[in-house]
Amino acid sequence: MAVPDEDADLVRAAIGGDDAAFTELVRRHKGTVLRSAARFARNPAELEDLGQETFLRIYRDLRSFRGDAPFGHWLSRITVHVCYDALRKRRREEKDISLEVLAAPVADPSAGNGPSAQLARMILDQAMSRLKPEDRLVITLFELEDRSVREVAELTGWSETRVKVRAFRARQALKRLIGGDDER
Amino acid sequence: MNDKRHDRRDVELDRYFALARQAPPDISGVERNFETRVMARIREGREPWYAWAWRLAPFFLALTILLSGWSLSYSPVHPADPVTMLASGTQEVALLDNLTGE
Repeated sequence: MAVPDEDADLVRAAIGGDDAAFTELVRRHKGTVLRSAARFARNPAELEDLGQETFLRIYRDLRSFRGDAPFGHWLSRITVHVCYDALRKRRREEKDISLEVLAAPVADPSAGNGPSAQLARMILDQAMSRLKPEDRLVITLFELEDRSVREVAELTGWSETRVKVRAFRARQALKRLIGGDDER
Repeated sequence: MNDKRHDRRDVELDRYFALARQAPPDISGVERNFETRVMARIREGREPWYAWAWRLAPFFLALTILLSGWSLSYSPVHPADPVTMLASGTQEVALLDNLTGE
C-alpha cells in the first residue's frame, strides 16, 4: 500500500493495532476535523459527538484507505459524510425555529468589529438550519469553507452539476430567509 | 427593479458570508485532550463480552449477601401439635418426635 504523505507510517502502524499511532493521527488531524464539524454543530457537545463519530468511523474503515490520496483528503470526506448524516437526522427537529433573529442588523464588514461577525454567524446558522441538508452542506463547504465546486464534489461524492444546482438553490433560499420573505 | 432587489440581496448575503468567515468557530474547549476521549471510546467498543461479567460483579455480590442474610434469618416453624406438623408436611419430624417420645 503506497501512502504518499507523512501519515503513511502512522496509518500502517494503526492498521497493525498500534494504538499510539492512531492517537498520534487523531492529535494531528483533530483541528481540521473539529473546525469543519463546528460549521454544522449547534453546541460543543454536538461538536464533540461529531468529532468522535468521525474518528471512530476512520478507525473502523482504516483498512479501506487505499492510500492513493493524502490521508487528510480521505479524512475530510469522512468528516463531511458524518456531518451530512447528522444534518439529515436533525432535519425534523428544527422545523419550528423562530426567524426573529434574522431581522437583527449586521454592521458594515469594513468596520471589522468582532460582535457583528459573531452575529452574522448566528444569523446564518439560523437561516441555514431551515435549508435542506444537501443545500446546507454544499453552501457551508462552498461559502464558509471557501472550497471550489470541484472540491465540494470530491468531498460529497456528488457531480459538479449537482453541487452547482444545490449551491444555487441554497443561495436563493438564504436570500429569501435573510431578506425576510420566506415563501414557505 | 426586481433584479436590483436581488442584486442587493446577493451583496447582503455575501456580506454575511464574509463576516461569518471572519469568525471561525471556537473549538478550543473540545480540542483539549480530544484524542484521549476518542481512544477511550475505541477501547470501550473493543471490550470482550466477558468484560460485562466484571461490571455485573457488584450486582451478584449484593444478591449473594441478600440471599445469605435471608437464609440465616429463615427459621421454619415447628408446631408442637403432631397433627399440625403432619398437615404442614413435616412428617419426618413428627415421626421422630413420636419415636423419641418428645
